[in-house]
Amino acid sequence: MSRTQRLGIAFSAFIAFAVGVITTLSLLLGDRPELYAEFAGAPAFARLMSLPAAIMVRLVAITSAVTIVIGISNLLYVHLGRVVRGAFFSIVMIASFALTIWWYWSKGGDTSLLAAVQVPIESALAALLFLSMVQGGARVLNKRADIWGLLFVTVLVVVLLGTVPIESLGPVRAWSDWLMEIPVSAGARAILLGIALGTVVTGVRVLLGQDRSYRG
Amino acid sequence: MDDSTLQVYTILFVVITIVLVYTSRFFSARRMPRLSQGRVPGFKRLSGWVGEAIEAGRPLHLSFGSAGIDAESAPVAAAEAELFYHVIKAAGSGDVAPVISTSSAATIPLCQDTIRRAWAGDERRSRAQWFPQGPRSMAFAAGLTATMQVEDPSAHVLAGSFGPELALILDSAERQGQGSFAVSDQLEGGAIAFAMADEVLIGEQLFSAAAWLSHESTARADASVQDVWRGLLIALMAILVIIEVAGQLGIASWSLVLWAALALVVIGVVFVRRR
Repeated sequence: MSRTQRLGIAFSAFIAFAVGVITTLSLLLGDRPELYAEFAGAPAFARLMSLPAAIMVRLVAITSAVTIVIGISNLLYVHLGRVVRGAFFSIVMIASFALTIWWYWSKGGDTSLLAAVQVPIESALAALLFLSMVQGGARVLNKRADIWGLLFVTVLVVVLLGTVPIESLGPVRAWSDWLMEIPVSAGARAILLGIALGTVVTGVRVLLGQDRSYRG
Repeated sequence: MDDSTLQVYTILFVVITIVLVYTSRFFSARRMPRLSQGRVPGFKRLSGWVGEAIEAGRPLHLSFGSAGIDAESAPVAAAEAELFYHVIKAAGSGDVAPVISTSSAATIPLCQDTIRRAWAGDERRSRAQWFPQGPRSMAFAAGLTATMQVEDPSAHVLAGSFGPELALILDSAERQGQGSFAVSDQLEGGAIAFAMADEVLIGEQLFSAAAWLSHESTARADASVQDVWRGLLIALMAILVIIEVAGQLGIASWSLVLWAALALVVIGVVFVRRR
């Protein structure tokens, strides 16, 4: 690696670190005049402190909008490549894309074509999703023939039975409610806590410019 | 707790994490052994799938789901990019470049950057693929299942942010006889991964996955910081439970709490040593 490349890496890591720290501090300490109540001109100072975060958040919003263009370019690039190889669904995709754009322009911004096609298809896929999930639930014991798989299926059955509106299933409903309120809730919180800790550690790694994307 | 106190605690938490990351990296540079993949069966199987992909001349499919670098799931995207880097690096001697998919347009540059760094061969630009998400991610799942037929990957590594749409993707993989390794930061996605994927990771394993595949001591050091925080959190919760129970039984005393905490530490040390 040349000296110029090493300098470039150090520079990008420094920029990431500086922007990260300034934005974090600005988010935490900005726009809160009560924190600086002892100083004269506290409201103006609080507004000044919140400025870097506001600028960065706005920049992120603009960049996100631009990435949609990148996404569409990527989609077209990938599918045009497949059209050359004769992929039928890619031809359909390119034709649909062209038709939707033409419809939007020629009908003065009308998106009814998109709504008329996409919404029913997504609803149909949502119905298919139900079947896939039931099938997946039924196959759990094939994949995980252990105590955890058995526990998963037992809880699933109890909770499903608990939602059935039949009076004789009252005790099952009580079990189902207890399962959802105590063990399931505790497990979900434990998973979310673990994810939160991982998020903080990864966030710190990025904040310090130690992520691989800054290493050239 | 008022907002100001919460902010002070937040800053303290971040500063302590920074100190822990640097301390852990300092000590791990020499002493920390490589983690054994055998302890998490999913990683062992993943290595097998990488080998199969190379032998069969088929690609691997890696997916970020909806994890985007412009959203709250940015750390998830960063952690998974690290995991994918190591998976692609391991598959580097193959003929066909892996496919990386995402439903977040902002993640496309990250996908391409990950392939560029890890894959030495040609044919890199078309391997990062974006599928528009749609209101319920169903469009993403539909696009992905179509790609699964065209590209015919040997296995799928679905690590990122997935919701219920994961069921469609895993069902399609199952029907086509393709292996699947799944982990999601969403609870619904995690539950579906547990039920339907061949191999699954849960919770914070999402963020320490790179440590299991990598030779780099820094990845293992970062994973150990998570372990430290988790240990502290568990100890704190256990102590609070002991104090609460002791208070309700009328036998609360500091010596009891101290002994109980000591017992917990001993159990923890024994457990860690045995692992």
